[in-house]
Amino acid sequence: MTKLSAIRPLRPASRMNVWAVISKTFLHAFLICLGIVVIYPLIWMALNGFKNNAQIFGNPFALPIGWSWANYVQAWNQGVRDYVSVSLLVTVASGLCTVLVSAWTAFGLTRTKMPAKPLVVGFVLGGLMLSPTVAVIPLVRMMQALGLYNTYWALIILYTAFRVPFSTFLIRAYMLDLSRDLDEAAVMDGASEGQIFWRITLPLCRPIVVSCVILHVLFAWNEYLFAMIFSSGVGAQTLPVGLTSIMATHGTNYAEVFAAMTISALPIVIVFFAAQRYFIRGLSDGIGK
Amino acid sequence: MADLSLKQVRKSFGNMTILQGIDLEIGSGEFIVFVGPSGCGKSTLLRLIAGLEEITEGTISIAGDVVNHVPPSKRGIAMVFQSYALYPHMTVYDNMAFGMKIARESKAEIDRRVRQAAEILQLEKYLDRLPKALSGGQRQRVAIGRAIVRNPQVFLFDEPLSNLDAALRVATRMEIAKLKDAMPDTTMIYVTHDQVEAMTLADRIVVLKDGRIEQVGTPMELYKKPCNLFVAQFIGSPAMNILPASIERAGAPTSVKLAGGMTAQLPLKTPETATGATVNLGVRPEDLRIAGNGEDVLLQGRLNYIEQLGEVQLAYLDIETDQPLIAKLPGGLEIQRGAELRLTANPEDVYLFDESGRSFAARESAASA
Repeated sequence: MTKLSAIRPLRPASRMNVWAVISKTFLHAFLICLGIVVIYPLIWMALNGFKNNAQIFGNPFALPIGWSWANYVQAWNQGVRDYVSVSLLVTVASGLCTVLVSAWTAFGLTRTKMPAKPLVVGFVLGGLMLSPTVAVIPLVRMMQALGLYNTYWALIILYTAFRVPFSTFLIRAYMLDLSRDLDEAAVMDGASEGQIFWRITLPLCRPIVVSCVILHVLFAWNEYLFAMIFSSGVGAQTLPVGLTSIMATHGTNYAEVFAAMTISALPIVIVFFAAQRYFIRGLSDGIGK
Repeated sequence: MADLSLKQVRKSFGNMTILQGIDLEIGSGEFIVFVGPSGCGKSTLLRLIAGLEEITEGTISIAGDVVNHVPPSKRGIAMVFQSYALYPHMTVYDNMAFGMKIARESKAEIDRRVRQAAEILQLEKYLDRLPKALSGGQRQRVAIGRAIVRNPQVFLFDEPLSNLDAALRVATRMEIAKLKDAMPDTTMIYVTHDQVEAMTLADRIVVLKDGRIEQVGTPMELYKKPCNLFVAQFIGSPAMNILPASIERAGAPTSVKLAGGMTAQLPLKTPETATGATVNLGVRPEDLRIAGNGEDVLLQGRLNYIEQLGEVQLAYLDIETDQPLIAKLPGGLEIQRGAELRLTANPEDVYLFDESGRSFAARESAASA
């Protein structure tokens, strides 16, 4: 009797353990499949950069016969270098501007007393609703009038303008959760508003700022519509537009095109992996609450 | 050396008035404690003194200078927050040095003062740590250290111990008392809702209710001479027993008839016109004792419940009033639930409050003054 009563409560637990192991196995299998679906095309693209056209069409899923960097070097020299430079400049400059403007705006919206604050918040966040496509024609006229058409300045300004509402939305949500006591302690210590922002609030917002930077880099690096319209001239083309012209010019040399695409994707992958810890933390802290 | 003066200080948020005309003089080097129930305005009053809130009316003076529009950092005040408010991304050293860095003090001076404060608070080992690597008590010490390095004239504490566990609270309370001894010229203002903190630390206690000062006095003054029902019940644990009664014969002494029919002679002077007036009789649980043979019985009731605390026991008696009567009796006393207890108290330990809640003793001393 004693033995039976001792065993009985164990049965459901062991059954639960089996189900836990099974569900865990399925979850892992699902995640591995998902990982393969995401990563395989990237690897396939990078590997095809080491092949020639015959190998690509003859046996597209095989490993390259030789590991020659020729296609990569050729792609780099035939314009990718310039496209990467412009993309880097536009992405870094617009990312910096977006984060600074958004963080200052969020600081103002969360930390200062102002009349009709909900209206101002609504106005700033209302920018999220503005479709870039709808705004293209007025923007072209505006950039032409300002003499910025066909320069990377146009892209820097536009990327900043169109990303500020979303970044402000994220940073504001994060700042709302920061303790006001810290601001007040800094006030007691004699810090000005600017010092509170730069030395207390902004460092504490690092996870969400990094998230915003990554999201901005993803956007600015891959953006095509504005890049095509506002920087189609030589010397101002970003990677997406440049890759299209490479495909048009060297359309028959697929290996070189694959190499160019790999070079263009590489920085994003590196940035994401380097900062993914902050990215996930920032989004879960900011949006989740 | 800084005395602090508050004259007719009012604070409103929109239509809601939080503080309604606070008048208070705080001497240099005094340890003042603000106590009161939640929402009474004690933290708001502290924030007004700190300069974190603008006052609506009145004046606040520190060392004779009106500081109504002086920014917090220029008032010579340091504040310790309930949440510690340590900068999480800075080390203990940087937290303590932040204010002086902002003030552009020399590195050598910053280092000297931070290390001096760290030595006082035994924080030398933790100077390179981030706040998240510290215990609650250590964080509170860092918050105090951050205030010390600024060498303030006035120290403000906003419920600094409320996030600590009971044992740590006692230890930190003693550290604050030692800190006060080490800084005799520094005025300290401390907000708490814990009356043990108030009684043990304060030179004077300010009792607040609904944005008004109810009474200001030394801990023993408040305990022995509460000016009204609120103070009488707020100071002391368990709270003072309040029993409905009527004055049978006014004068000195005063004869009072309790709702249960018993009468008591109190060595109190009441005006002749008070005869027949409805009053409240107050007696502290610790002043009640079992009546001996031949002693006058003040209160009599059936024992409903006992809380044994070891050294003492709290006896809850049914005396046919809304609230049970509580008596703090010696822990070793053998009493049984359901027993009829006859209690008495020294007449001078019995308080009498008029219908508005004001103490007759306070009325008498006000009249004689």
